[in-house]
Amino acid sequence: MATHEVFAALADPTRLEVLSRLARGGPATATDLAAGLPITRQAVAKHLAALDAVALVERRRSGREVVYSFRPGPLDAVVEWVDSVGKSWDDRLERLRRQVEQAE
Amino acid sequence: MENEETGDITGDIYVERSVDLDTDPETVWEHLTDGDLVGVWLGSDVTIEPRRGGAILVTGDGTGDIFGVVEEFIPGRRIQWSWRKSDGLPALVEIEIEPNDDGTRLTVRETLLPWQVTEMPAQRHVRGTPLQPFSSRPHTQALDSNAA
Repeated sequence: MATHEVFAALADPTRLEVLSRLARGGPATATDLAAGLPITRQAVAKHLAALDAVALVERRRSGREVVYSFRPGPLDAVVEWVDSVGKSWDDRLERLRRQVEQAE
Repeated sequence: MENEETGDITGDIYVERSVDLDTDPETVWEHLTDGDLVGVWLGSDVTIEPRRGGAILVTGDGTGDIFGVVEEFIPGRRIQWSWRKSDGLPALVEIEIEPNDDGTRLTVRETLLPWQVTEMPAQRHVRGTPLQPFSSRPHTQALDSNAA
C-alpha cells in the first residue's frame, strides 16, 4: 500500500472519526456506526470502503451483515514518515549550525 | 535539538525541531534565504525566489528534483514553503527565527499535507502556468482548487 494512499484515507475528518470509533469501540457494522454519527448509513459505508481499500479495516461477513474491525498496520507509514523527516531535519540543522557559526 | 514533537493522529501530522544558534538573527536569516547558502546545509543545489509565491527548486541530492512554492515570507522572521519530495508526499515547511540571549532560536516544523493532489502548483509552473500560492494551512479546498 502506497504511503500517500494511507494518508489520503486518513485526511477526511468524518472518515477518521469512523476509524476512531472502530479502534475504540471494537468491531461494528455500518448501521452500528451510523447510529452514533450525524451521517447516513450509506455515507458510513462509503468511508468504510475507502478505509478497506488501504487495509485500515478488515471486513467479515456475519449473516446478512458485514462487520468491520480496525487494522492498525498501515499506520506504520505515519510513524515512518515522522521518523524519516525528523532525521532529515536533525542532519540539516546540525549542518546549518556549523555553517552559521563558522560564518561569524 | 531540544524539542521533539510529533502530531497526534487526529490532528496535523508534523515534525518539529528547535535549535539555539550562537549567531545573530541577520546572519541566520541570510543562510535561510540565499539559495547558495541554503544549498550547503540542505545538501543540494537550491534556487529560491525569496518572496511569497516564489519558486523553490532543489536538485542534485540524488533523490530527484523537488519543486516547491514559498507560501509565506516575512523578512528576518519567517519563511514557509510547500514541497513534494521524492516520497511523493506534499508537506509544508515553516521556519521561524527569533533573537534569544546571545544568538538566535530557530524552530522548524514540517507538516504533512495529506490530501491527494494530482499536481502541485510548482509543477504547473514548470509547465508554463503561472504560480498561484495556496493557503499555508492544509485546507482541502485550497489544495483542490489548485489541483483542478
